[in-house]
Parts: sequence; structure tokens; C-alpha cells
Amino acid sequence: MQPGKLYLIGAAFVACLASCSKSGDKTTIITPTVPASNPIAPGNISGFVKGTFTTGNTYTITGDITIKAGDTLASQQGVTVVVKGDAQINVQGTLLLVGTQTQPISFNSDSQKPGSWGGFQCDSAKSVTIQWTHIDNTGGPDPSGSARKTVFVNAPINVDIEDSWFTNGQDDLLRMQSGAKVTIVRNTILCSGSTDGEAINLKTGVTGTVAYNVIYSQAGTGVKLETSSTVPLPQTSVDVYNNTMVSCGWRRGQAEPGRGVSVGLNAKGNIYNNIMVDNYQGLEIFVDADTAKADLKYGYNLFYASQDTYQDTTQGGNLAINIRGNFYPSDGVGKPQSTDLISTKVGDQDPLFKSFDGKVATPNGAATSNDFHLNSGSPAIGKGNTTYNNDIGAYTSDGKGNKH
Amino acid sequence: MKIFFLFLIAALLLCSLNGLAQVVLKGTVKNGPSKERLSGAIISCTNAKGVVRNTTTANDGEFTFKGLPPGEYDLKVEYVGYGTYTTSVSLVENKTTELEISLQQSIKELVDVQVFGKLSQEEDAGARSKEKRSNNIVNVISAKAMERSPDINAANVLQRMSGLTIQRNGGGDEAYPIIRGLDPRYNNTLINGIKITSPDDKSRYVPLNIVPSDLLGSIEVHKSLLPEMEGDAIGGTVNMVMKDAPEKEVFKVLGSLGYSKIFMDRKFVNFSRKDIQQKSVIEKYGPSYVAQPGDFSRSNLDFKGITPFPNTLAGIVYGRRFLQRKLGLMVAGNFQEQYYGSNSIFNQAAPDIHAGGAPTISDYANRSFSTRQLNGGLTLHLDYALNEHNKITLTNISLYSDLSQARVIVDTSILGGNGGRTVPGTGPVSTDYTSVTSHQYLENLKLEGKHILSKHLLFDWTGVFSYAAKRTPDQADLAVNKKIDTVHSTNDIHGPYTFVTTPNYFDVITRIWQHNEDKDYDGMANLSYRTKIGEASSLELKTGGLYRHKTRYNIQDEYDLKPTTSSSGIKQQYTDIYSAQWTVYNSSGTYDYDKNKYRLFENVTAGYGEFKLSFPVLDIFGGARVEKTEQGYTLNTFYPTGINGVNKKYTDILPSIDVKYKLNTITNLRFSYYKAIARPNFYDLVPAPRLSTTSATTTEGNPYLNHSVADNYDIRYELYPREDEQLFAGIFYKKINNPIELAYINGTTYEPQNFGNATDYGAELVFTRYFGNIGITGNYTYLHSTISSTKSYYDLTSGYSNPDTLQKRPLQGQTDHTLNLSLLFRNKKRSLFAELAFQYIGKSIGLVYPIYGYDYYQRPQSNLAFSAEKELTNRHFTVFTKFNNLLNTPSVYKINGLLVQRDITKLNFSFGLRYQK
Repeated sequence: MQPGKLYLIGAAFVACLASCSKSGDKTTIITPTVPASNPIAPGNISGFVKGTFTTGNTYTITGDITIKAGDTLASQQGVTVVVKGDAQINVQGTLLLVGTQTQPISFNSDSQKPGSWGGFQCDSAKSVTIQWTHIDNTGGPDPSGSARKTVFVNAPINVDIEDSWFTNGQDDLLRMQSGAKVTIVRNTILCSGSTDGEAINLKTGVTGTVAYNVIYSQAGTGVKLETSSTVPLPQTSVDVYNNTMVSCGWRRGQAEPGRGVSVGLNAKGNIYNNIMVDNYQGLEIFVDADTAKADLKYGYNLFYASQDTYQDTTQGGNLAINIRGNFYPSDGVGKPQSTDLISTKVGDQDPLFKSFDGKVATPNGAATSNDFHLNSGSPAIGKGNTTYNNDIGAYTSDGKGNKH
Repeated sequence: MKIFFLFLIAALLLCSLNGLAQVVLKGTVKNGPSKERLSGAIISCTNAKGVVRNTTTANDGEFTFKGLPPGEYDLKVEYVGYGTYTTSVSLVENKTTELEISLQQSIKELVDVQVFGKLSQEEDAGARSKEKRSNNIVNVISAKAMERSPDINAANVLQRMSGLTIQRNGGGDEAYPIIRGLDPRYNNTLINGIKITSPDDKSRYVPLNIVPSDLLGSIEVHKSLLPEMEGDAIGGTVNMVMKDAPEKEVFKVLGSLGYSKIFMDRKFVNFSRKDIQQKSVIEKYGPSYVAQPGDFSRSNLDFKGITPFPNTLAGIVYGRRFLQRKLGLMVAGNFQEQYYGSNSIFNQAAPDIHAGGAPTISDYANRSFSTRQLNGGLTLHLDYALNEHNKITLTNISLYSDLSQARVIVDTSILGGNGGRTVPGTGPVSTDYTSVTSHQYLENLKLEGKHILSKHLLFDWTGVFSYAAKRTPDQADLAVNKKIDTVHSTNDIHGPYTFVTTPNYFDVITRIWQHNEDKDYDGMANLSYRTKIGEASSLELKTGGLYRHKTRYNIQDEYDLKPTTSSSGIKQQYTDIYSAQWTVYNSSGTYDYDKNKYRLFENVTAGYGEFKLSFPVLDIFGGARVEKTEQGYTLNTFYPTGINGVNKKYTDILPSIDVKYKLNTITNLRFSYYKAIARPNFYDLVPAPRLSTTSATTTEGNPYLNHSVADNYDIRYELYPREDEQLFAGIFYKKINNPIELAYINGTTYEPQNFGNATDYGAELVFTRYFGNIGITGNYTYLHSTISSTKSYYDLTSGYSNPDTLQKRPLQGQTDHTLNLSLLFRNKKRSLFAELAFQYIGKSIGLVYPIYGYDYYQRPQSNLAFSAEKELTNRHFTVFTKFNNLLNTPSVYKINGLLVQRDITKLNFSFGLRYQK
């Protein structure tokens, strides 16, 4: 045989094999068979559920429950839900908790210790509505070790949280991101976050309103607006007005002080009519916020310190922190506005709360009995930006404010 | 360690005492026409009673028999590629007999050299001969070349080979080969032709830095595949051939001491290993146990600067044949203890929204790593020839690697989080102290048989058990944070200021226990048929198959320890690890629910048929292989939502053809085509997050990943002017369907994805030339690859836009120009060798960046290394020295102009002594 001929044969052989060899991957994903959702009935509840908690009944959640994408978990007024075994509520569908002022709903764990159940994990929910509901003692790690937020939304959906109470949670309380459209109004958030966690943490692309909320003794920041350095767009844009933030930001220590309100990386909004008392830092506008005049506006905020300095006597230290010096922290670019009410000494611009024990730093889950309604004669009354309200703070004389 | 050295010295002393003799037979073996001295020729000396003694020629082509009784002897000289030379000599008492032997090169192709041959690839000439004779496109590096090079492990050796670069992580540990610009996932690594399991917890390939080069007889890099070879090598196959039983008794002991200059300039950061719990809390006490603060040790988070011991290396090799050469034995042991480190700048990049998404620095970090690595290796080779036609071989390889690494990372936020930097010198500073210890084990037991069934039929079979495991007990990480601000001394906000620093706060401690274990069972069998066609031609037909069953488990258990608070609820300041107080945040660990707790399997069934037509001027080798793969994983814990596992099945038909034109006895021209695949790495399919140790990124598996298939074309011209000289010039082209690369998902998360099609082509040039005592060896590789992936633009008003814009770029890890150039000095008479090795590695993509027009590029590097050895006058002892990184070359990563990473490892050197019987 001639070498040339052989080469031809070889080439033909290759061409044949190359054309007839075909390969494809047959992929079988192993997913759990999801059972049909059980309608809610009084008694023990776990697994896939849907339906409505009905008035006057007590329900016990004994293991994680999941509401599937097409399903709804609803609650009528006057319902009590007890959560056992550190369970959490996963919402892929719709969450609709509608309590009333006279008959609120209550979610709490059986142990009633901070961080003893998992809260509402609504990462991929279709909508979230929470009204007149007590949600207490949430947070802590899930079985895979991750910190759990009390209400976590990670989707561009409507989130409506009104007139509700959140007490003794851990980690972030209300954490919204990925373009959620929020209405967070007239809520009371108390003594939450262990040594970290913000009360209302609004990230990447969140828009909406945060108003008339009372936030007391949060580990981190009261209301935090930001995007992230790796995902700086779309912008976070929120109006934050008429909130009362007291004694926030102490438990994280000086290396990570918390604020009343902070506007960070590429976030913007309108920050008006808030009362900020005894927070580690007051209103922080970070260097990397969207500080364009048309995008970020603030003023008419009241800053007060009930004592000149706070003596931080944490293990190994005894450091005096000048609270008044941190109303607009020096590492930010926020500037006192002429419309602001800024205390210059103890007694000056005191908002005159109905009752306030003056405790600056207190532990997560500590008992509290303060009343942040304003006494008559408070400098906050009638000094607000009228676009939002005549008064400053969460409790306003026009009755639009916090109803707790 | 000290004991080992005492032993070594004793061994060396003992060895130098023997060898007094009366009758001496000496000789020189030369290449007939060129008169060049041949090293590694086998000389057997048989007395009248049939007792055989063997030796081989040394570097200078000389051999010596001492202590022979006077008498008549038959002398036989064999050398691969040459005709056998026989003569008889008569030895007389008290006299030295000297012979000069000229061998004639034989043009006859050697049959079955790989099976029964006596070719020693440990010599350069053997390596050249292997390249020349091989059926496919191969580059070989010999043990001699490795011994004389500045390199101490397989990773260092390979990076000097044509078309190869080495992918390393920042700490300098874990090294994998990139062949012709293709990521390690496209290549396979074999030991003695057998696939070995990897102790690495995420990939399927063995870290080359745990393979001591002293155990190796040669390394072959196959750049085209034959049907009989496993098909998952689009880039190529690295075959590390362990030392084989020698014809002549070999006894070699070596030891060396060295140091890394980085620890002359700074301290080595050390931590105690004595309290490290090998088992996690749950593994120890069971699932219902509630972890207590006291269950976690402190001393492994107590970091102290020390001056480390010198780097040590010791090795021993013994081999000989027994029972009239029927039984061959080779044992090699190696021990290395290395202290190395790096000082790095490590900046995290983020898109700057005010500049269309151009990267800007969001975090600035200084990292210093201190690593102690202890590598041990033991290989055992036993072969027994039952008779002329049947041979059984048992090989066992055990490798052990023990690593202790201290990482100190000081990170300042520039953007985001709780506020960044205002002016230089300020910002939130978090300091991470990590202690990692890991133990890697690798065990490979192989039994094979070769049987010549008839004049025409050869049957061989192999059974392999392969085991690999890695244990990382209690990887402990302590995070401490503080904040630096400015204090203005006047009321002028633009006026002078000083810095004020808060105390350090105890942020969190994480403890992770991880282990994984792989088991492979392989069975292989081949049947070949050979026949002559006419006088000068032959036909060989071969068929065979393989079955491999692999299983692996991975377990991870993590605990977070959070600071206890003061009475007012404030987090604790951090002074030292012994006064830190914590609570266990997740007191039942993550053992039951960790997504990194999974089992996986892979079954490969393969069969092939191939032919070889051999004519005086032309060899044609071709055939096809079928590989059927089943692979998948299941999570140990059932998740009510999401993915709990995956099963994949695919079958590939992989044709190949190799044509070799033998233009003359010293020139080959080769053409090759083959089809090959790349299977997803085991971890690639598991969608559990894994934090990178080298960058601020997380990687998650992708269960929808498909395997890659590629068509590969090669042309190579080979010239072998003299025994140890070569000139290769080649070009190649590859087209990869469904290439797998890491793709940006969001935040800092990456996952492997398929990317349509990629092409990869290039040219290689390899040469070795001697001018008297001076030699130049080198290789140059040019590579060009193209792949397209989607990138985003940034637009401040509308956010991301055009997210589907395709950007063309090279494959990740592909360098453009790679040049290795070594200047060799050899004086065979004086037995002096020296090598100055220069390396230039062009730029390559380290990681893709999400924004159009930007990627992380590793900048070009130039390295210089030096090694030398001198045989002492008694011919048994050799002193040697190795110097690496003479230019103090940093490894630099940039995104366009922006510096994101710079690692400095500094000079490393050693001096040693080798005894050879």
C-alpha cells in the first residue's frame, strides 16, 4: 500500500468517526417530592401548609413550615401562634397577617427567649403583608449555622409592614433587598440584635417609605440604607421620616458604632422629622452615598443626648463617648442643617418623652417600659417639615403617627 | 528530624567503607559514529558458571566492575536504540582491564520496550528515545534532569516543560498543571499510567506539590491521546513515572538543608498544634450534644513569631534485581519539610458607578501567610518475571502531606458596610487570624500482569485500588475589628488632624472541621496482536477496556463563637485569645445540615480498538475509544426545597489517529487528531458555597453543568541530532464544545458554567543543544484562545444595561507567551553540572470581572533559578545546591491598570549531599 493511500484512508476514518460520535449529557436532578400543602387546622403544624389561622385560636408550629409559590398563609385577628423547636416560616407564596388594634396577632416561641425561633424567611415570596402583629424573640442561627433575619425579603415584591411590634430579635430585624418595594410604618422595634444587626436594613434597589416607627436599643443601626460594593445598582431610594430612634448602636462596640439613620453606598432618599436620642451616632451620610443634592435631602431632625458622655466600661476599657459629638459623625459627610433641632447641652432640645429611664446601652432582650410619646411643650411639636408632618418624631399630634 | 539526619550520616559513612577489590574491569561505552559517550547503557558480566553481574554506565559513559574473581567472562552491552554488543574478556589478578566499546545505532523499532525493555527513562537519552519512539506526541523529562534542576517537587519540574504552566493558589501550596493554556480541569494526572484519586476536596486532580521529584523516574506529558489512553485529557496527560527496578544495584541517599529568605526578613507566624481536636464536637459527643465554650481550644489561635528551622529534605533509593534478574525491587522514600511564606497586598475590586462600572478598590488588605509543609513519600516496586513470557508487577505509592498554615489578613474597608475610608489611614480595620492544619493521604496499589500468549499475542491486565483523603481539623479563624478616624485639632474641617484608633473588638471566631475520602477501584485489560507485513513492516491490533468505580464523601461541621457581652450588652474588647470569652452561637454545629456534607460517585466504563501500521518510513496509529460516564452526588441531609442531588450519564466516542513520518533516523514528522472530553470536577456539581482561601470570592457548584468535548489537531517536527539533543517544533488547534469556566453570578459568587464554544491554538518550540561543555535547553510556547462570555455595562440611571453583551477573551489561565531557557554547563570528566534556568510567563486571566472590558489579569513574570552539582573524587558523593526565585519575582494581578494582588515569596535556597553506590 502506498503511504498516500493510507493517509487518505486514515482521513476518511477520522471524518467518519468524528461525524458519527455524538454525545449529550443526560442530567437527572434529584429534588424532593413536594407533598400537597395541608390546609391549616388548629393544633400542631409543620411541613407544607396553606390557608388561614382563624380568630381566637392558638396554633403550634412544631417544625419548619413552607408556603409554596401559589399558596397563601393568612391570619385573621386575635390569633396566637407558638413556635417550637427553633422552627421558621418559609414563604414562597403570599404572607397576609391582618391583625387589628384591639385584636392583634401574636407569634412567639414557647421558650420566649431572644433568638429562639426563625422568623419569616420570605426570600422568594410573592407579597408580604404584616399588620397589627406581635413578632417576638426571633433570630439566631438556622441549622446550617446562618444568622436569621426576622423578616427577610429578597425579591422585587410589595412589602407592607404596619402597626406591628418586634421585640427581642437577634441579627437584622426587617431585612429587604433586591428591589423590594416597602411600606414600613408605625411599627415598634425594641431591644433587638445581639451584638450586631440593624432594625430596618434596606439594601440593593429597595424603594419606599419608612415612617412613624419607634426603634429602641437596637444593636446596630435604626434605619440603614445602602447598596453593596459589588452590586451598587440599582440604587436604594427610601423616604425615612418621623421615626423615633433611641439608644441604638451601642452593643457592636466602638469599632462598628451603630446609628440612628445611615445612608451608605449609592443609596439616596429623604431623611426628615426624625427624633434621635442617645444613639451612638445620629445621622450618618457616608462618603460613598449618592450625595447629589437632588437625590439625598435631610433636615428637620431632632438630636438629643440625655447625658454628656457615655462611659463605656466594657472589659478592659473605660472610654468616655461624647454623644453630642456624634450627632453627625466626623467620618461622614452629613452636615447639621439649619432646620435641625440640635441639642447643645443636657436639657437643651430635650424632646420630653412621656417616660424615659435614660439608659444608654442595655443588653439584647432587656425589659423596658419607656414611653416615647411627647409631653406637651416638646420642641418637636410643630417644628417638622410639613411635606411629611407638622411634628417631629413617631408620635404626632395629627394622629397619623404611631398608634402604639 | 535530628534522628533522621544521624541515620543519614551513618548510612553515608557505612557506604563509603566498602569496595576494596583486586580485579577491576573498566570500560567506556560510546556511540559508534559520533564517539559520544553514552550514559545508562546496561553491562552484564557472566562468568563460566552463569553467574551474572550488572552495571550501567555513568554520566561520562564509563563503567567499572570491582572485586570480580579472575577468570573468563562474557560481556554484554545493551542500550536502547542500539544493537547489542557482546564480547568475552579474560580477567587477571591484580590487573585493571580496560575496554572501549562502540555501539551501532539500530534502526529497527524496538518491540515491547514498555513491557519488557530495559530502557531507563531516568537518563536524558532515555527520555529523548521515548519521545522519538512514542506513538503519540510526548514530552519527557528524565530523573537526571530533575535531579540536576533547581526543582524539588513535580510542580516545579513541570513548569519548565514545553506548553505547561502551573496554577497555584496564593499561599504557594496546591499546584496544578495548565497544559497549552487549558485549566487543570481539562487535563489528567497519572502515576505510572494509572489515574490516581485526589485528596483535594474540590477537584479530581492531584496537587503536584505533594509529589517529591526524587521519587520520579521520569515525567511524560502526552499531548495527543491514543485510544488506549483515558479520554479526559483535552489539554493532555501528565504521567509521573515512578522509579523502576534497575538492572544494576542502586543505592542512593541524599539530604539537603535550605532556607527561605522571607524568614530572614520577617518572623514565621507559628501556632501550637497540641490542642487541636481531630474530631469536631458532634463527631466526638454525638448529635444531641450542646457544644460548650470550653469545647474549643485556644492555643491554635495563639500566634507567635518564631525563626523557623531550616528546610530539610532527605531521600533514600534502593533497587536491584534478585534471582537471576527475575525479581526486581525498587524502594524509594522521601521526606521534605519546607517553611515558606508570602507577603501580599490583596485589594478587593468593586464597580465604580461614577465611572461606568470601571473597577475601584473597595477593600485594601495586607496578607501574610506562613506555611510549614511536610511531605513524605514511599514507593515500592516489585516485578517478577515468571519466565520469558509472563511478568507480574506490584507497585505501591504512598504519599503524605501535612500542612500548617497561619494567615494574618488586615483588611481596611474603603467602600460600603459601616462606612469606609475618609482620608488615607482611616477606616474600619478588621484583622483575621487563621490557623489551618491539613493532612493529605494518598495510596495507590497496583497489580499488573503482562503475558506473551504467542508470537503474535500479548495480554496485559491491571487492578488498582486507590485511596485519597484529606482532613482539615479545626480550621480556626478569629476576626477582630477596630476603627481609625481623624480628629481635627482646629475647627477647620480641612485643617490639620491626627488619627484616633478605637480598641480592638472581638468580632467572631469560626471553627470548621472538614474531611473527605475517595476510593477508586479500577480494572483494566488489553489484548494486542502483532504481525509482520513483509520484511520491514508490521501491523498491531489492540483492544481493551477499563472499569472504574469511584466514591467520595465530604463532611463539614462549622461552629461560630460569638463574644459574650458586658452587663450593658456591649461586645467585648479583644486583648488576647486567653482572655477572650465566647458563647457558642450554633451549639449543635452544622454537621447535619451542612450543604458541604455530601457523597458522590463516578463510574467510568471504557473500551477501545486501535491499530498500528508500521512501515520503514511511516507509522499510522489510530482507532476509537468509547467512554461511558455516570456521575453524581447526593446531599446527606434531605432538604424539603431545592436540589438534593444529581445524576449524570453520558457516552462519548473518541476517535484518534497519529501519523509519524520517519524522514530519516533522526527526524520525525507527526500529525495527530484526537477527540477528548473533560468531566466536571466532582465538587463542580454540588451547589454548596465554598469560600476561596485565596480571593474574596465564593464558588458554588452547578448541577446543570455538562461535560466538555474537544477536537484536537497537532503537527510536530522532531529532530534528534545527538543522544541528548533535540529540536521540536509543533503547532496545534483545539475546538472545545461546552468549555467549563468559572462565571460571575452575583456579589462575590462564582459558579462553573458551560460557554458555547472555545478555540485554543498555538505553537511550541523545544530544543536542547550542546556546544562542548555548554548546553542550551529551552522551550517557547505561544498560545491563543478565544471564549465568549456575557458581561454587563454600567449605567447610573438605568442600572445594569446590555447584560447579554458577549465579550471575547482568552480562556482563564491561558498565558500568551511562555519561555523557558536554561544554560547548562557539564563537564563529564570532572562530573560537574550547573544549570541556570530562566522563565518568562506571559499574562493570563486569573478571574473574570463582571463588567464589560475588564478582567483580572496575572501580569507577566520572569523567574531565575540556579542549581549545580559536583561529584567528589571518590565518585560516590555528590554535593549539590539549588536556588529558586533569584529575581524575587512577585506575582501580580491587575484589572487593567488597577492593582488587586501582589504576592512576594522571596528567594529560596538549599545545599545538599548525595551518596550513590
